[in-house]
Amino acid sequence: MSEGALPKRDAVLRVDDLQKSFGGLAATDHASFAVERGTITGLIGPNGAGKSTLFNLISGFYEPDGGTVEVNGIDVTGMEPYQVADHGLIRTFQTPRKLEGMTVREAMLVGPRNQPGESFIKLFATPGAVGESESANLAEAERILEEFEIDHLATQPATDISGGQMKLVELARAMLAEPEVLLLDEPVAGVNPTLAKKLKDQIRRLNEQGTTFLLIEHDMEFVMDVADPIVVLDQGHVLTEGTPEGVRSDDRVIDAYLGGGT
Amino acid sequence: MSLLSDPKGAVADLTRPEAWVLGVSVAFMLFLLGALLTGALGPTYFLFLVGLAGMYALLSFGLNAQWGFTGLINFSVAAFFGIGAYGSALMTASGSPIAGGFNPIVGLVVALVAAFVLALLIGIPTLRLRADYLAIASLGLAEVVRLIVLNERWLTNGSAGLRGIPSFFKGWPVLSTFPETMPGIRLVVIPGSPVILETAFWQASLNVLLVLAFAGAAYFVLRRAHQSPWGRVLRTIRSDEDLARALGKNTYSFKMQSFILGSLIMALAGVFYTHLNLYVGPGDLDPITTFYAWVAVILGGSGSNRGALFGGIVIVTIREGTRFLNDVALPIDPAPLRLLLIGVVIVAVMRYRPQGILPPQRELIWPSAVDGGGTPDTPESGVREQKGGGSDE
Repeated sequence: MSEGALPKRDAVLRVDDLQKSFGGLAATDHASFAVERGTITGLIGPNGAGKSTLFNLISGFYEPDGGTVEVNGIDVTGMEPYQVADHGLIRTFQTPRKLEGMTVREAMLVGPRNQPGESFIKLFATPGAVGESESANLAEAERILEEFEIDHLATQPATDISGGQMKLVELARAMLAEPEVLLLDEPVAGVNPTLAKKLKDQIRRLNEQGTTFLLIEHDMEFVMDVADPIVVLDQGHVLTEGTPEGVRSDDRVIDAYLGGGT
Repeated sequence: MSLLSDPKGAVADLTRPEAWVLGVSVAFMLFLLGALLTGALGPTYFLFLVGLAGMYALLSFGLNAQWGFTGLINFSVAAFFGIGAYGSALMTASGSPIAGGFNPIVGLVVALVAAFVLALLIGIPTLRLRADYLAIASLGLAEVVRLIVLNERWLTNGSAGLRGIPSFFKGWPVLSTFPETMPGIRLVVIPGSPVILETAFWQASLNVLLVLAFAGAAYFVLRRAHQSPWGRVLRTIRSDEDLARALGKNTYSFKMQSFILGSLIMALAGVFYTHLNLYVGPGDLDPITTFYAWVAVILGGSGSNRGALFGGIVIVTIREGTRFLNDVALPIDPAPLRLLLIGVVIVAVMRYRPQGILPPQRELIWPSAVDGGGTPDTPESGVREQKGGGSDE
């Protein structure tokens, strides 16, 4: 399926003609695609294809040179990351970030957006409301930790858990931010097969419950299994997009991504 | 567990460093008590030292709210301290070239407003950038403020400084005349070494009361703020600002709040100093104050309010304690020993306990995290690593 050919029914994320250059290098070169609500969309491409740059552009970490990003029909181009997040787009990072001096439970509680206790004034002016919201968030965090089967980690220092467990915690924490679309940057990179399967199951379960995903992943088996549709990026532009089967048999993808061998 | 409701249990619950700090503190207090009773240490001077310790604790609290909570590198502690000291002195001192004679409460408010504005002005251009830029800008700010105070004689009286500063309680009912109305007391605990409590002693007691009120209020606010969702966002920014941004936190605003809060507390230390010393001069803005505050925070444990308090007390002990070495026959002049001693302490702490004596984790909401063992100690080699590295036990 060629670029823009997907039916644009209900795109929760729409990227249109996005451009970004570093010096003379076009890292994102007129990229356009849409993520339909309720899908798990995969974003693949060879090393240096511009996947991470695209993630940074979408989530507001980079300012694009041209083009637009829409979340839920609202133009978020050029907004700060926290403003993009406020519109329902949450992202994770390739390297799990561990929070110093926090337990896993506390690290989870950074997730919920717009907590009353995050206002210095309200902290002292309305301690009751802050306490109530904190209790509610804590209960929700416990519930999600249980759903992810990592509730036994709750009181562990967040710096003390394995990389794979951290990926699970990241995903769990992102869910506390109640995303409409969740961008996952290599969710199973460096994760052992057991945890990778757990992550896959969780992504599927959350998707069934209504969360839309856009994920970058190098593990082809993983991405072909979990994602549909798949967007293929090469040299900063969208090479093609379509079903896993369609992408797998596309000669251009084989040329660009699989080196023409498989 | 409360030390008051269950002292035995509370002591048993202490970690080894906490027990160590408690033991050293008790021994130190007994030593001071002995010095007081034998007349080796004058009671008024002792209260002055307590005031100084409170002042350094305030400076450390302020820096802790910036560096310890959020990872902001501020090298202009002395500037904010100076703004507090001069702001209040210019309003209240009889020798003030611009205003003077106002109630010390007016001086307090003016000093805090000035510190707020200055923090905002330096924060706006730098806090959107990487941490290093604030560090560089704050270094410049400290020097600019010091040079303005030194050279703008029409405003600050220049190198002559400001005299005629009243006590903080001037104009207050009861407290303004309290030192004079109190009778002189002569205590004889050890025969031959009477302890005499006169007007100066009662005045010093009021100063201690004031610094306890300031430091107590600052500690209460910081403790609650540190444990709260607000403090959690700051701690996230310290570990990983991008993560906080990705989760919808306006990190610029949070950093600004942390920077302003810390600066206000530093200014509070300056206000107290003005009314403790009753004289301020450009020398009070020397970079050494910034250095002392950093040493206190790193020594106590970055991010730890208790650590900042402990560090502040250690600094005053070393700074003032070395004065007594004059009485001991030493082959060298004891004055430079202060910096040498502080240097040795810092090297020892960085080598054997890089996370500080009382790291913050025990202050967090769920201390069960440390009961299970905690993270391994990771020696840190520098500021950048310390910012991101695992330094809390």
